[in-house]
Amino acid sequence: MFVSILQQGDFLIASIHAALDDSELMRFQKDVMAEIANHRAKGVIIDVAALDVLDSFGSWSLRNLVHMARLRGATTVIVGIQPEVAFSIVELGMELDVTTALDLENGLEYLESVTTGHRAGKSMLGVLGSHDT
Amino acid sequence: MISPGDVGGDPLTEEIVELTGLLRRVVGRRVRDREAVDDIVQETLARLLAARTRLDGRAIGPYAIVTARNLVKSQWQRADVGKRHEHRLADTRDPVRPDEPLLEQEEAEAIRIALDRLAPRERDVLVAHVVEGRDTGSLADDLASTPGAVAAQLGRSRAKLRVEYILALEGEPPTRQCRPVLLSLSAGDRRRQGELDAGYHLLDCDFCASMSEPLFDRRAKATADEVRIPVTVDADVVVARQRGREVAVQAGFSATEATVIATAISEISRNIVRFARRGEVTVTILTDDGASGVLVVAQDAGPGIPDIDLALQEGHTTYGGLGLGLPGSRRLMDEFEISSEVGRGTTVTMTKWHRR
Ligand SMILES: [Zn+2]
Repeated sequence: MFVSILQQGDFLIASIHAALDDSELMRFQKDVMAEIANHRAKGVIIDVAALDVLDSFGSWSLRNLVHMARLRGATTVIVGIQPEVAFSIVELGMELDVTTALDLENGLEYLESVTTGHRAGKSMLGVLGSHDT
Repeated sequence: MISPGDVGGDPLTEEIVELTGLLRRVVGRRVRDREAVDDIVQETLARLLAARTRLDGRAIGPYAIVTARNLVKSQWQRADVGKRHEHRLADTRDPVRPDEPLLEQEEAEAIRIALDRLAPRERDVLVAHVVEGRDTGSLADDLASTPGAVAAQLGRSRAKLRVEYILALEGEPPTRQCRPVLLSLSAGDRRRQGELDAGYHLLDCDFCASMSEPLFDRRAKATADEVRIPVTVDADVVVARQRGREVAVQAGFSATEATVIATAISEISRNIVRFARRGEVTVTILTDDGASGVLVVAQDAGPGIPDIDLALQEGHTTYGGLGLGLPGSRRLMDEFEISSEVGRGTTVTMTKWHRR
């Protein structure tokens, strides 16, 4: 399994666990969109900590995903971008133009702050953390 | 010893290991002793594995057969020499032979002839680099070129010199096809090998069959710090950038710089998959005058780029609304060169130097 998409209340946590090629990225995009529709998700966290490289196509498809999710009423935050990957995106001349957070916990805090009427319990964070490793 | 269990999942490697049965038949027809057959097959496989990244897929089978035949031949010669010297109880590996000075003179003459056959400009650059010890950086300044392009040119010149040297020693080849085939083998240029059907020529032509292996052996030693990745599908883009990253780390680059290099490799490999469908990426460690770097060459035999200036413009739409592939990799690397011929293919050459 290179990717996983888990539901946590109104949110989805979509994690990429390995370097993905272009077609895998496209499938990931499609799967996340389908899950947003299935679960009527209000927020999505995309964890890209395991991505080795975010080149022009990777950045473009992430940005696309965020924009499409927004059209479906879901707020998305990207977490776990490695410092060297971030540096390369800037050097490449890309503007990722998406909301990012350091890690899952910060990502969840962000989603909670922008979506109303939902509170994520701390215990849930623990479960997600152990799943992620 | 090489057994199928020792080698990894590389498809080319698997293909080579699958040749074992064929090789046994080829060698078995010529050698009686079972143990000798095994030895020769093993040695052939070892040499094939060493040369595999420099061979066009279709050339592997023929090259295997030719190598096995050569090994059988040289074994006979050794056995023969052994018999002749038996009565003297002399060490047959004794390096001093009465004709040694003559051989040296012959070799010096062959090198002179080979150098004469290079283009004057090519020869000057090679001599300046090898004899005078000039590094690619200062040569590039003189030639209004880049160190990466000079390094690539030096590689081609060396390949040509090896061929001309051997031809000067062995005599002119029997057919017109021979010289270009030998050159493509010496340079490890798989695209050219494919165009020339180098594999079939090796099977047909005894002359080239006996020449091809010395060419490869030297080349393999000279390029230990190099990886070559065939690129045809999306997944190869990931393989290319991951192998490239490993080479960059080996060359002394930091994790951040290695990621920058991997990103540039990702961009140009994707271009091969999208526009040419088939090509390869070579990543080589460069060392010059204490500095180190990596040379990345992406080569394809695709449709070519009609307007390179346009392709290098940022925002030029090549796919999905973003056209950062070529201009992006140019930004990421220190040197960037692209040559393309419509209907023939595209070669992107880029270099990054390690800063201290
Ligand atoms: Zn020939």
